[in-house]
Formats: sequence, structure tokens, C-alpha cells
Amino acid sequence: MFRSTSLRLAAVYTAAFALSVVVLGAITLLATRAALSRQFDARIDAEASALAQEFRTEGLTGVVQAVEERERTPGALDYGLQAPNGRPVAGRLAGSQAPLGWSTLRMTPPGGGPESLRVLTTTLPEGYRLVIGDDDEQTEALEGAVLQGFGWALAGVVVLGALGGYGLSYGVHRRLAAMTGAAEAIIDGDLARRIPVRGSDDDLDRLAVTFNRMLDRISALMESLRQVSSDIAHDLRTPLTRLRQRLEASRTLRRPADRAEALGGALEDVDAILDTFAALLRIAQIEGGARRAAFRPVDLTALARGVVDDFAPSAEDAGQALAMEDGGPLVVEGDPELLTQMLVNLVENALRHAPGAQVRVLTASEGADAIVSVADNGPGVPADERRRIFDRFYRLERSRSTPGSGLGLALVAAVARLHGAAVSLSDAKPGLGVRVVFRGRPSGGTLAFPNEAESSRSTSGV
Amino acid sequence: MKLLLVEDDKEGGAYLKKALAEAGHTVDHAADGRQGLLLAAGEPYEVIILDRMLPGVDGLAILRTIRASGVKTPVLLLTALGGIDDRVEGLEAGGDDYLVKPFAMAELLARVNALARRPPPQDVQTTLEVADLKLDRLRRTVTRGGARIELQPREFQLLEYLMRHRGRVVTRTMLLESVWDFHFDPKTNIVETHMSRLRAKVDRGHGLELIHTVRGAGYCMSEPD
Repeated sequence: MFRSTSLRLAAVYTAAFALSVVVLGAITLLATRAALSRQFDARIDAEASALAQEFRTEGLTGVVQAVEERERTPGALDYGLQAPNGRPVAGRLAGSQAPLGWSTLRMTPPGGGPESLRVLTTTLPEGYRLVIGDDDEQTEALEGAVLQGFGWALAGVVVLGALGGYGLSYGVHRRLAAMTGAAEAIIDGDLARRIPVRGSDDDLDRLAVTFNRMLDRISALMESLRQVSSDIAHDLRTPLTRLRQRLEASRTLRRPADRAEALGGALEDVDAILDTFAALLRIAQIEGGARRAAFRPVDLTALARGVVDDFAPSAEDAGQALAMEDGGPLVVEGDPELLTQMLVNLVENALRHAPGAQVRVLTASEGADAIVSVADNGPGVPADERRRIFDRFYRLERSRSTPGSGLGLALVAAVARLHGAAVSLSDAKPGLGVRVVFRGRPSGGTLAFPNEAESSRSTSGV
Repeated sequence: MKLLLVEDDKEGGAYLKKALAEAGHTVDHAADGRQGLLLAAGEPYEVIILDRMLPGVDGLAILRTIRASGVKTPVLLLTALGGIDDRVEGLEAGGDDYLVKPFAMAELLARVNALARRPPPQDVQTTLEVADLKLDRLRRTVTRGGARIELQPREFQLLEYLMRHRGRVVTRTMLLESVWDFHFDPKTNIVETHMSRLRAKVDRGHGLELIHTVRGAGYCMSEPD
């Protein structure tokens, strides 16, 4: 806590305030002192002029009388009247040796401590000298009061600053400690842990929200990675086992031709495994989202037309029909290579699972949405299994015997998700229809990236 | 032909060298990037086979250095990275072709042959000729023995690619990448289908077959000597 940033800040601010109080005090003290001293001098000056006037009008006796009279009143000034030969005439200061003009006298009055007097010595007509002075008691008292006041103010500033700073930094410290705690918990393996959010929408709260979103993203990626690993472990075991058996069996084969055939089969197995690997890595790469940087305007209809033209001959040879229903240019922001692969996978999936059937590829625009759909009139997919066919390695029971890695539609889902497009399945009556909807197309500029559970898995139609 | 193989994996490198030598090539094997750089800059090779992941240096850095020093030898990049961006990066750094590990030996041999500048490239020619088969790249027409052959656009591209690589084996993957621009492997036999249609149009009814299937490798366009 005592190494916390906020506490240090509070300390610095308190010190700065204390310093300003001190500077303010010094200035006030100096100004007070100057004002008091001007007042003091003016008062003595005026008194000297008044007594000089007295001397001119009333003569020496008038002045002596005035001095004696004034000294009797409490709190009065001190006076001294000296004859031209230096003989004291009247007043407490009559015996002083002060030079002409302003000077300071030190004297010890009877029954008191030594005191310092500020005096003005002037000459009166006929060679008489008049000394008028007063001690600085009043000035000192006022200065003392000012100093004391500022002393209290200083103490107040320091105490309040320290308390406020402590309180402030305690609050900030507690929230930072909560963040640190959450981070430590995550480091220790509690990946579901999140930083508490107060809902005050201040900077710390926004930081916490941002961190939480980052953590969510990381968890999603981790989850996808974990899923890939377990998928690999699960689904590659079968072909690897088959490969192993084949190689083991080939060891006992005598005829070179048999061995060559067995090795050829083993090579095919290896290639199939490598294909699966490549597909998995590609899906993982697409899910990583790095390809979004390479997006550019792509005409979906042109892509679909190309794919249909490329695959129609093969379909024809297999006794199937692949046709295109052209909905006119349909520009979306995307990655042409990935979108082509998505279309290829959809078409291949339809051709593979609907033998002897017709496959239609259709592009259309609905409002701001760009739609591409692939429909076949094959056996279709039971409604309760539709959600799962986009999962990695998911294969319908009856498709287990046909070739394929079970990754084709998972890749379709990944590409669609990358493009913020929604994939939905429907009953093409008979057969299966797969619709990919790219929302808010061309000039809309930004594509939304909706949350994956809803965008890619939602089923529409029956 | 004379090849430079830059590959740090001892076993893999030795195997590649042996296989390339068996195919009639002379192979210099550099086991690290520094040696590869020295050899590439000093010796005239027809093709350089460069592993992208080398200890200490990125193969791409070596490739850029080679290109910066003015060496124009075709470079075939080998890599374990199969990502789209990796491929683009490799080609942008000056690579001429890109092959993802693991690969079949036949694939590597076909690509090395395709990259070699012998016979001289026909890219600039506006008409390609093999025996009595003529392809006009500007008019986009094909004739065989003077008779016009009508081809679909993809079939035309396919024939053009085969004719440009006459006398050399082209693999299915090379065709997918160059003719279709597919950098993935479709499960459908589109190459075979298009090829059989093309052959039906080009070769059927003519005594002399120009398009040949090379077992276990791919296709080859050639006229008998």
C-alpha cells in the first residue's frame, strides 16, 4: 500500500499545498510587518510635528506640560525633552543619547526586562531636542498572531492531505489489488476468473471491462485450441491405428507385389491423415481471425459461378447435376480465397451426400443482405442433427462409410464466422439447403461479428 | 541440372539430395543459411531449393539477401508452414514457388523441373505450338492440324499451362494452384475431369497423343521424338 502510486501522488499534492501555505504565510507576514512599521513611523512623525507646533505656540512650558500629560495616559508613547546643553528637561527618554533621526534604543525601565525602542529624535527651536519612541510590542504581537494562524493552517493542510490521500489511495489500491488478484488467479490456472466491475464507468472500470473482454477472447481461443487437440486425439487415432496394422501386416508379406501394395495403402493412409491435419490447421488459422486484414470487395456471384463451372463436369460424370441460379453481382467484403474454399466445400458436401441428385447454387440479395445458398435433393439431415454438422469431425451415422474427414462443414462455419455471416440449414424438401447470409453488405461498410453460437448454428426453416 | 539445396535437417536433407541425384541432378547441400548464402551468391545454379525454417535465420531473410545481391536464380521455398499468409510472404520475398512439407518426391521433382529455365520460357510468346497443336494466347483460339477446337475457359487455361511446360511433368497440385488458384485440395476429381475432357477434344481422333499421364506424378505434354 505504501508503494502505491495514488499514495505517492497524494503525498506530493499534500507537500505542494503545505509549501503554498508556507509561502503565503511568509508573504502575509512581510506585508503585515511593512504596513505596521509604516503606521508606527507615521504616528511618531505626527506626534513630533504636533509637539513642535506646541513649542512654537505655547513655548517650552506648554511642551513640558503636554509631555507629562501624555505620559500619564496608559499605552502612550515615550517622550524625552532635552535642553540645548543636553540636560534632561522632561519625559522618560530625557536622558537618552539618541542621535538625530530614527534610531533604536535599548533600555531597562525600572521593574521590567530590557526592551528595545524605536525612536525619532528631532530638534525644536532654540536648540531643544525632542525624542519620541515606542517599543515594538504591538507589531510583534500581531506578527505572532499571523504566524500562529498560518501554523494552524499548515497543520490542517498536512493532516487533511494525509487523511484524504490515504483514503483516496486506499480505494484505488483496493481496486488495483482486486485486478492483481484476478490476474494472479488466472496465472494459477483459474481461467474463468474475471476482474470485478463496479459499474461506475470510471477509467478503472473501463480498464477492467477491457481486460475482461481480452480475457474472454483469449479463453475462446484457448477453448478452440483445446477442442482441436482433443479432436485430433480422438479422430486421428482411428486412421493411425489402421496405418499401424497395415504396416505391421506388411512385414510378414513375402511377395514383393503384395508388399508394394501394402506400402501404397499405407502411403494413402498417411496422406489422408496429413489432409486432416491440414484442414484442422486451416480452420484454426481462420478462427484466429488474422485474415480479416486481407479483406477486400469480392463478388460472391462470380465466385459461385466459377465454382459451379469447375465442378459441373465432375458432377455430370458422376450422374449428378450442378446448376447455378445467378442473382446478379453480389459484393461483400471478404477473403476471396477462403470464400471460394467455403463454396467448394458446400458444393462438394452436397455432391458427396446426395448421389445421383441435383445440386443448385443460388445467389440473391435480400435488402442489405447478400445470400448464397447450396441446396440438394438428397436424403437431407435430420432436424435434430442439423446443429451439430458444423462441428469438427461430426459425421452422420450413415456417412461413416463414405470418404471425408468430417471437417468440410466445420471449415464452412469458420469462414462464415470470420466474415460475420450466418449459416443456417433448412429442409430443401427433399434434401438439405445451406444458406449463408452476409449481413449489411457492400456500401454498409462494416460487417457485424455476431456471437458465434447464434450466428453459425441457428437453424431456420423446419 | 545443378541445384542448391539449403536444408538444415540432416536426415531430410540427405534424403532429398539422394532423391534429386537419382533423378539426374547435381546437388550442393548447404546445412545452414550462411553457407547457403555463400554458395547461392558464388555458384551458378539453375534452381535453389530453400528451407524456410533454418536455425538462427529465417529462410526469407536469406532469400531477400540473395535477391538484393542480384541473383535471379529461381527459388523453390520448402516450408512446414502452410498458412495463406506464409505463402504470400514467401512469394513476396522473391520466391518463385512454394511447397508445403510434407510432400511427395514426385511433386518436388516436377516443380524443380518447372522452375528451371531450360528450355527457355515461353511466357512472352503469343502463340504456343506442340506438334500440330497451336494455341493463340491473344485470340484465345486453339487449332489442331488446322482444325479449330472449341474449349471452355478453364480447359483453355489448362492447355496453355501444359503447353508452356511442354516436356515437363506437371502435378495435380501445380495445376490446382496455377489454373484454378486453389491453394487447398478439393476432394472432387476436378483436375482429372477437366483433363479427360481436354484430352477428348485435343487428342481424340488424332493418331498422335500429346497429353500423357505420368503415373504417380501427373501429366506431361510432349510430342514423341
